[in-house]
Amino acid sequence: MRNSRVAYPLTWRVMDMLENVCARIWPASLHRLLPYLMLLPAVVLVGLLVLGLFQIGDASLRVLDTSTFLFSEDYSLENYRQAITSGFFAVVASRSLMGSVIVTVITLLFALPYAYLMVRTHSSGLRKFLLVALFLPFFIGQVVRAYGWLIILGNQGMVNEALGLVGVPPVRLLYNYPAVLFGLIQYMLPFAVLMLAPALTAIPEELESAAGSLGANWVRTFRHIVLPLARPGLVGAGLVVMTLSLTDFAIPAILGGGSQDFIANAIYDQFFRTSNQGLGAALSLMLVAVGSIMVGVVFAVFGAGTLAMTGGRK
Amino acid sequence: MIGSRSKTIVIWTFVAIALILLSAPTIVVLGASFTAGNMITFPPQGLSVKWYGAILGASDLRQAFIRSLIVSAICTVVSIPVGTLAGIALAKYKVRFEKAIQIYLLLPFTIPLIGSGIGMMLVFGNMGVLGQLWPVGIACCVINLPFMIWAVTASASNLNEDLELAAANCGAPPLQRFLYITLPAVLPGVITGSLLMFILALNEFLVSLLLVDARSVTLPVQIYNSIRSIITPDLAAISVVFIVCAGIAITLLDRLVGLDIFLKSK
Repeated sequence: MRNSRVAYPLTWRVMDMLENVCARIWPASLHRLLPYLMLLPAVVLVGLLVLGLFQIGDASLRVLDTSTFLFSEDYSLENYRQAITSGFFAVVASRSLMGSVIVTVITLLFALPYAYLMVRTHSSGLRKFLLVALFLPFFIGQVVRAYGWLIILGNQGMVNEALGLVGVPPVRLLYNYPAVLFGLIQYMLPFAVLMLAPALTAIPEELESAAGSLGANWVRTFRHIVLPLARPGLVGAGLVVMTLSLTDFAIPAILGGGSQDFIANAIYDQFFRTSNQGLGAALSLMLVAVGSIMVGVVFAVFGAGTLAMTGGRK
Repeated sequence: MIGSRSKTIVIWTFVAIALILLSAPTIVVLGASFTAGNMITFPPQGLSVKWYGAILGASDLRQAFIRSLIVSAICTVVSIPVGTLAGIALAKYKVRFEKAIQIYLLLPFTIPLIGSGIGMMLVFGNMGVLGQLWPVGIACCVINLPFMIWAVTASASNLNEDLELAAANCGAPPLQRFLYITLPAVLPGVITGSLLMFILALNEFLVSLLLVDARSVTLPVQIYNSIRSIITPDLAAISVVFIVCAGIAITLLDRLVGLDIFLKSK
């Protein structure tokens, strides 16, 4: 008896017990359904979002009665009509759209050389430095970064104090459109570089050497080898940057100071300032639609693998 | 990098500007937190750590920080099993409607944050649980879940079916095979994913802003609310907490799995 207990240690007994429990709960005959069981918790969690979208949809169809401050029982499309025809929302929407386009172009312009140097450098120290410089702001969060810009660009901020030392009167650098775009570019750079880097890694360096040995200078090599091969990465990164900056809230709120609202700020105000939940919901749903169409275009053109979810599939 | 001097100069010019752009806020916040004056001025009025003392005494900031930690912990604890299982299922098994499921699981990335946040605000509001911390944790988990699944599937190339068959051949039952063969293979991905989940939840602002009430503000929301009124150096000092957390996360990530994994092509 004692011998058998030594030969069959406690951990094995526990494992056996657990195996039995597992076999009882999920018998081998259900083996083929196992992956679906494993996916179930994730599907349920994301289901919260879908449920949320339905509730937004429901709210968007109810009109606020301004005399009683109650929402109507029956559905109508009045909120959407109001959202589309209102001049204020048209201004906000065009400001956000134009901003996201400008931000995307400038971000990619800086992200491409950054990712290129990071991927191509032979010095592992430099690569690590560039990676850390990228991840640090990425991990610090928008509010703290925007706060840093407030210190630098504010009316009594570093730039203005420095200008004051050389006798230049203070310049208003904050709470305007360029300040918001500037903040967004800084916010988006890590995203763009991290999406571009794998695409550049996939381009063999020999191709560039070959182009060089055939007499192409680096500008031509870049234009005819690197850019075309990096195109999927560029388009993917561009669309991610565009959707994220189009829908951003914190940067326009903090660096725009209320005068440079983007769509997300307008939605927030509808919910928490004017308390017109229906109109806010209609705006949210329209923004979701625009965002989904943009991502849908990426999927249609490049396949769902663009966002790096298909890795490791055998 | 290969190429001529002009290429080096052009590339480095862009990179240098990008580096300044990326690092300036961090460095300035760090510097401002050590100022001796009551205002943030340039050039600084001398060095002191008095603002760190001030935030240690401020119970609202301390409690907001603790709430942020709780939210991140909930988010990470929920996301580890959920994301790991889903990632393994997608990478290892042939699943029907795999494309559709992938697109569905990417919804948190494709739906704009303000939409996700307001949707969950309505859902949790109807459940009557707004103002508690666990809905915020769950919400942070939902919006960043693709990161976790991505990290796990990316490390799934380490999965070796032969190894599992060999284990089965030696008599290992399913659970044992899962615990001793499958799980260790994707462990680097799980570590990467959970670090990302934790740090992103710690920094999450917009979804927190929508889901918290006055008594349950998290630290980013607290900082945002204070920025609105006045800029004082104690905010810089509390912001340094985030910088330190980010530094720890990067160091851990680098030590445990190496930052280079983010450069790999699929």
